[in-house]
Amino acid sequence: MSFRLKLMLPLLAVFTASVGYPLLYAFYLSLTNYKITARYNTRLVGLKQYIATLQDPNYWNALQVTGTFVLLAVFIEFWLGLFIALALQKQKRIRNFTRSFLLTPMFVTPIAIGLLFRFLLHQQLGVIPTFLDKFGFSYDFFGPGKALYSIIFIDVWQWTPFMVLLLLAGLEGLSRSPFEAAKVDGASAFFTFRKITLPLLVPVISVAVLIRALDAMKVFEYVFAITRGGPAIQTMTIQYYTYQTGIQFYRLGLASAMSYLLLIIVMVIVVILFKRIESTRKNP
Amino acid sequence: MTTLNSTRFKPTWTSAGNSLLILMALSVFLPFLWLSLGSFKTGAQLNNPALLFFKPTLENWKEVLRSGVLESAYRSAIVGLVTVSLSVVIGSMGAYAISRYKTGGSSTRFGILAAQVLPPAVLVFPFLEVSYKFRLNDTLFAVIISHLSFVLPVITWFLIGFFDAAPKEVEEQALVDGLSRFQAFRKVVIPQVAPGIGAAAVFGFVLSWNDLFYALILAPGNSATLPVKIASFNTFRGVELGAMCAAILVAVIPVLIVSFFIQKRLVRGISGGAVKY
Repeated sequence: MSFRLKLMLPLLAVFTASVGYPLLYAFYLSLTNYKITARYNTRLVGLKQYIATLQDPNYWNALQVTGTFVLLAVFIEFWLGLFIALALQKQKRIRNFTRSFLLTPMFVTPIAIGLLFRFLLHQQLGVIPTFLDKFGFSYDFFGPGKALYSIIFIDVWQWTPFMVLLLLAGLEGLSRSPFEAAKVDGASAFFTFRKITLPLLVPVISVAVLIRALDAMKVFEYVFAITRGGPAIQTMTIQYYTYQTGIQFYRLGLASAMSYLLLIIVMVIVVILFKRIESTRKNP
Repeated sequence: MTTLNSTRFKPTWTSAGNSLLILMALSVFLPFLWLSLGSFKTGAQLNNPALLFFKPTLENWKEVLRSGVLESAYRSAIVGLVTVSLSVVIGSMGAYAISRYKTGGSSTRFGILAAQVLPPAVLVFPFLEVSYKFRLNDTLFAVIISHLSFVLPVITWFLIGFFDAAPKEVEEQALVDGLSRFQAFRKVVIPQVAPGIGAAAVFGFVLSWNDLFYALILAPGNSATLPVKIASFNTFRGVELGAMCAAILVAVIPVLIVSFFIQKRLVRGISGGAVKY
């Protein structure tokens, strides 16, 4: 056995056990009518669970909720993160401390952040509503039509630092010469930002947005901690809906079909965007 | 004219930037401040969120110690340490093979990248099913296997980048000097990337420490890890609210301390060379 194969073998073995095998098993489960409460009646039902999923309006709702969540959250995180990264780059004093401090939210377990904000924003007990009350505003952060935006706000609070981390690294890796040339030509700060900084940063931006978007699709903890999908199904994200179907309603077969459809969507997005990023990398 | 312009504009941009940073620092700081205060408040004091000065109570912290938060922190630490140790040993060997010998070509690299974006909902039901079959449900073993599914790819991905960046000359010299290839890998290559391995290990540990989804489904009861335990404080009854604040702090403090030390290397790892052009 060759040296490199010996090195690879443990990785292959554990990878097969912890990723490959479950992936295949999930596909098998998605073709059965498996229910935890009726496990001895399990049989293959073909694509029935997939058809049921596609005909389920709640599944489409979950996709829509998750889509709205990802688009809005990542959009805000990107622009906010970009401005913070620019400000950090220009900052003169106590640089290292500011950086470390602003990045802290992304290291905290999301369930803790969820519970923290559940309480901070709670209508009767929360600091923020109490504060708003004093100025005569009343705002129910987790009420109908508002809960999803509050969840998005929490995601922005926790994950903008991640954008900052990547964008700042990108900014500091840019070559200085185009900026010096722009300065000599007397270009305004805004012009420099739009015509030089942004275009040069595109490769980094696409990677950062892609990573963040794929991660945001997995949103679960905030919903679990705060709304449990409500009011009605307004914050029912795809991960939470699958969890509910599989764990609370015991329908592992159906839940597996749901997650497999999601997997297909995710993989299509990854492959398309990956090819795009590769092509911008080749001809910048 | 141009110098005039830039001197006139520069201070406004800089002060706008600094104001933004101060605002952001406050928005990070205040929730943590509230959390720390809340962990020393009594139930009645918690009903008044604007209360800043009060006589602190240690009741919440005692309640946290009674309710087994420390035990679940201990379990989380075990899961994290075992997962990360396995991942570092297995991942560094594999990453070296992938980086130096291009094992499997670009499809191996893509496979490792793709494993990181798998929705956890796909893998969790098979884990649950198999752990039922072997009567391993509600054990740390099941949680460790599931955590390997995302920690191992991340650590391997980090390490591929670090091995790619390490110079080849030293290890070639070691081979000339009569070391076997495995000795050269262990005694020459590994020390070169040791700081990177450290950062990857800490990041992997944080990922495992923070996971709720797998742990909640695979071990919701007697083997609850820290995030699962914290989730169980989800209530609005006064006493438990203060305890919840304390429990959250138990989860937050170690991670915050650790995160301060690895941030610089983290950038290179996460972006996997994508940031470097």
